[in-house]
Amino acid sequence: MQPGSPKTDTPFATTGRSRRGEPWVWLTAAGLTLGVAMALGLFLLILVKGAWSFWPRRIDLMEVSKNGVIEKVAGYVTQESERRDAEGVLHKEIQVFRGNRDLSGEAFKFIDRADILKTSRPESLLLVERLEYGPAIVHGVALVTPNGRIDVSSPDFDKTLRQSLADGAKTRGQLLRIERKQIGAISREMEALSRAERSGTVAAQTAAARNAELQKEFEVLQAEAAKLRAGLAGSSFIGMTADGREVNIPAEKLLGAFPANRAGFGERLAEMGHRIWKFLSEDPREANTEGGVFPAIFGTVVMTLVMSLFVTPFGVICAIYLREYAKQGHLVRIVRISVNNLAGVPSIVFGVFGLAFFVYYVGSGIDQALFADKLPTPTYGTPGILWASLTLALLTLPVVIVATEEALSAVPRGVREAALACGASKWQTIQRVVLPASLPGILTGVILAMARGAGEVAPLMLVGVVKLAPSLPIDGIAPFIHPERKFMHLGFHIYDLGFQSPDAEAAKPMVYATALLLIIVVVTLNLTAILIRNRLKKRFAVSSF
Amino acid sequence: MPEISHSPDPKRFEVSRATLWFDRFMGWLIRFGGIGVIVAVFGIFYFVGKEVIPLFRSAQVEPAGGIIKAAAPAVLGVDEWGEMPFVYDGADKVLFADMKSGEAREELIPGLTGLGITAHSYDPVHQRVALGLDDGRVGSFLVNYERTFGDGSAPGMQTSITLEPWFTLEHGSGPVTAVSYGDSGAGRAIVAKRGSGADSTVSLLRLGMKRGLIGKGKLSLLEEADITAELDSEAMIVRASQNGEMALVAAQSGGIYYFLADSDGVSKRQTFAPFGDKPPRQMNFLFGGVSIIVTGPDGKQQQWSLFRKGGEGERLFGKTKEFPALAEGPVHFAASQRNRSFLTGSGRELSIRHSTSGSVRWEGAVDIDPVTAVLDAKGANFFVAAADGTTRRFAINDHHPEAGWRAFFSKVWYEGGDGPVYQWQSTGGSDDFEPKYSMVPLIFGSLKGTAYALLFSVPIALLSAVFSAAFLPLEIKRVVKPTMEIMSSLPSVVLGFLAGLWLAPILETRVPSVMMMVIFIPISALLLGYLWCRLPIGLRNRFASGSEWLIVLPFITLAGWLGWMLGPWIESWLFIYKDVASGKELADFRLWWPQAMGIPFEQRNSMVLGFMMGFAVIPVIFTIAEDSLSNVPKSLTAAAAALGANRWQVVWTVMLPVAASGIFSALMIGFGRAVGETMIMVMATGNTPITEWNLFSGMRTLSANIAVELPEAPVGSTHYRALFLGAVVLFAMTFVMNTIAELLRQRLRERNKLV
Repeated sequence: MQPGSPKTDTPFATTGRSRRGEPWVWLTAAGLTLGVAMALGLFLLILVKGAWSFWPRRIDLMEVSKNGVIEKVAGYVTQESERRDAEGVLHKEIQVFRGNRDLSGEAFKFIDRADILKTSRPESLLLVERLEYGPAIVHGVALVTPNGRIDVSSPDFDKTLRQSLADGAKTRGQLLRIERKQIGAISREMEALSRAERSGTVAAQTAAARNAELQKEFEVLQAEAAKLRAGLAGSSFIGMTADGREVNIPAEKLLGAFPANRAGFGERLAEMGHRIWKFLSEDPREANTEGGVFPAIFGTVVMTLVMSLFVTPFGVICAIYLREYAKQGHLVRIVRISVNNLAGVPSIVFGVFGLAFFVYYVGSGIDQALFADKLPTPTYGTPGILWASLTLALLTLPVVIVATEEALSAVPRGVREAALACGASKWQTIQRVVLPASLPGILTGVILAMARGAGEVAPLMLVGVVKLAPSLPIDGIAPFIHPERKFMHLGFHIYDLGFQSPDAEAAKPMVYATALLLIIVVVTLNLTAILIRNRLKKRFAVSSF
Repeated sequence: MPEISHSPDPKRFEVSRATLWFDRFMGWLIRFGGIGVIVAVFGIFYFVGKEVIPLFRSAQVEPAGGIIKAAAPAVLGVDEWGEMPFVYDGADKVLFADMKSGEAREELIPGLTGLGITAHSYDPVHQRVALGLDDGRVGSFLVNYERTFGDGSAPGMQTSITLEPWFTLEHGSGPVTAVSYGDSGAGRAIVAKRGSGADSTVSLLRLGMKRGLIGKGKLSLLEEADITAELDSEAMIVRASQNGEMALVAAQSGGIYYFLADSDGVSKRQTFAPFGDKPPRQMNFLFGGVSIIVTGPDGKQQQWSLFRKGGEGERLFGKTKEFPALAEGPVHFAASQRNRSFLTGSGRELSIRHSTSGSVRWEGAVDIDPVTAVLDAKGANFFVAAADGTTRRFAINDHHPEAGWRAFFSKVWYEGGDGPVYQWQSTGGSDDFEPKYSMVPLIFGSLKGTAYALLFSVPIALLSAVFSAAFLPLEIKRVVKPTMEIMSSLPSVVLGFLAGLWLAPILETRVPSVMMMVIFIPISALLLGYLWCRLPIGLRNRFASGSEWLIVLPFITLAGWLGWMLGPWIESWLFIYKDVASGKELADFRLWWPQAMGIPFEQRNSMVLGFMMGFAVIPVIFTIAEDSLSNVPKSLTAAAAALGANRWQVVWTVMLPVAASGIFSALMIGFGRAVGETMIMVMATGNTPITEWNLFSGMRTLSANIAVELPEAPVGSTHYRALFLGAVVLFAMTFVMNTIAELLRQRLRERNKLV
């Protein structure tokens, strides 16, 4: 660009003779660079760490010599660090995930790089996923099936393994249905029966008869479940750990086996996709450190949607009132400042309010009026998803009000006057002209509110989030929607895994994956809002001629 | 004015009724809804405030019926529920008075008939009446209450009296003139005075349970110690502590003697004289047995507690508090069995005082002349009895005796401490644990966290705002601003987790590197600017104006890397830790810091917190500051440039001063965001409520405290309400800051309009 060129966007060229203050300009430039680098760096960090946690890693078989004893360790490196010992000698240490928590107690092992004699990647190593004790890393040895034992050398091994995995998955699905759904329904009916008996709406005799029937049904189902279990009982997977111990995993607990060192890039990519799918669709296992986060996703989505259901109409009505109906004077100005202020009130304060007002005041009131028969066990008088949604609706109300007000005030005066001149009433003008024109702005506000709501955790800790919810807030059991239930939330899941988990190290991949998911949700919502806003600006740039 | 007559509109111009009606309806609906929402929002303050107000109420006392006439009372005692007080007549009769029905029932204690009872005292913990006889025996009886639940009717009360074994005093002669009984279940102590005048004696008895093969063991005397020799004059008041491990004797000379009676035997530990050479008018233990209340000759009340001076050595008594003076006359005293409250007074004037906060909870007069008073275990009632046997009940309504302005905001001398402190500690191990609810360490923690967060983020945010507003080309700004905005929407739980689990372990060993980076990066940028403008203009012109932020990138990366790598070298040069035991030297900042500064080094510290909070605060400050800088009227900057100012001079002399109030408001809003941040604070700090500015230690903030403790606090308890008070304080801080910021911003907008 030529000096003094009229096309320049910034008012001042760099090329003046004056050098005074020039270092400060460069300091401000460095500030901006740092700020942008921090933002992008953080996204990148979480993206890489999150994606990396799904990638099936190659498994190293290391021979480690420690104090003259040679030990074989199979696993993959999760961290490298440097440590200086008391003599000041630098040690390069690696942290290896070796699984097999049932055998060695610790799933991780720290190894001094200098102690490693030999590293190899034998193809026989498998990463076995199971229901308990986290993954196992073993050499495949054999499969025991009701039809006999199939060794790893047999050509049928892979096929049989696939078959038994599929069988196991099917049986587990059936068992789950029986145990959770059908037996659950029976126990719920029994509970309702005993309550009804106590309150006297059902005679004791009828109740006893029905109870006996239910008991019979229950026994039939239990027998069915036992039969299903027995079907798997004969099969198991036999593996051998790196240090030569045999591991026997019954088919009922076997979830998957991945030949990490044999698989090609395509297979690993497929495995990664499979893991992502499982992460998104499955329930958590083993104190949330394994399995998926489906209930947390579901809880976050339901909570956010219910929240926007509340916040949108109220926010919009309030904004229309402030902008179109209220007399613009000192009072409205004070209200406006207060609403702006509310956006800056710490979220935890809203949580405190939600607990005092919604849970202990409104909730207990509802309990006393409608669910007196269940007291002292509270129904609504305890934290739950409805109260969480309402609390967050209050928290995000200022966002919607401010955005809607801005959108309303951006509608050109001419358009309104034209509508009024055509004989439209005030409400007709608002309904048919002002609101449609400001709809994108309102939408931006609602999406921003959703993004804020989805990412908030602190108030939820007070009004309804739990580390493990036994059931979803919406399910197939009448009345299908359970606004009083506690729920799981992605953000709280991160906190719980990272800071309350018994094995924080083992939970780390899960935390990064969950963080990535949450950030994707929040950033997507934000980007949508920004895009809509930019569009909106263009539209008004044309219309306000 | 002439009337304008207008003909009615033609029909087709008339608005349909339905439309008008609907318009009016919607108008009202929106008004109603809008005002409703605003009212609801302000309802927040009401509801949070409502939970806090009871904390600042003083106690209320009302007469609660049940006047009972009994014989002259010697001892007045009461059950746990305050329903059936008993009056012991000093001989062999106990009168139980049912406060509900108003009935009185007299019970004879056969074992006491015909004995010459010369001394008695009451221990409210076990409802024990200690007795001393004219033949030198000491003993006691227990009054047992048991709740009975009949068939659906109101619960009743069953009483029984158990006489405990007698022990004969070996030392001294004459009748027992004062006795006190302490019992912790395991060990017991009796302190008794025999005779009167100069030749009176005081004995301290240690009792123990001999383990029997079946059932409870037999209570037997372990030791009787004659402690008369330790006293310089006649004993006036003797008291055994509730835990049965110590005894206090107040002598005529004004000295109070403290004896320890543990398994090693009886020994004198301390003598102190609260009122010079005058003996106290009253001396009693408080709940927990660690403090005593003494009343001096002039009516002034003092609290003396056991504590270790300077945190070391033996626990000895020291004066911790003073209370307002009582009137003349004998002093009534009854300690609560639940907290550090006590009922005291003289004559008809009574007051309920709380020892921890040193406050008077209630003051008032009763309508009889009490000779004795007692508090029930729950602290819900107190009873007074007059000399003629009239006994009255008073209901106390005091839910939060330990609360109050002083407890929350000023230094409080807690039991066991060696001085007044600000402390927050809401839960403890033992029954007689005293919760400490000072807001000050939490407010301090919030301010400390905020200060370190702002220390890091303000320079970056303001520098980038200046560059973005003054120098950055528009099309790049269109990308940079939303990037920063998205950064502000990063869920704080993610930042907190990264701070605690990722950044803290990395920075723990790299403090010198971070220091070097903090020094190198800005210097490198300044240096680059200095050198850049000395380059030939032809070369400089190859780079467009506003691309400095890209040119600077490789240089500050290099500087940062250099700083990072130089860190260990600096560490081995400057931060040498010397192991005291072995004399070995080790270059490790983590060890050096506590040794050199005397303050701890923690992994989750303010440095980590400050850095991560940056992600939350920078975008907030940046966005607002950038807006206010961008909105500086072009006419001003152009005028300055036309007068010959170079680009930095325009920024420094025109843009910054004009936008100053906007920038200030950005800082305030950044402060508000930082002070209320919760998840980062919970996860990145150690959550210890300390009050020191140490960069390498954590803190506990108001917000984190609420998030961590509120789910466990019982509804309506002092703890619960104290957490609400924390929320109110937090709210007030942010609300004030935000309002100032908003007003400033509005003023700025007006001013820019005028220009």
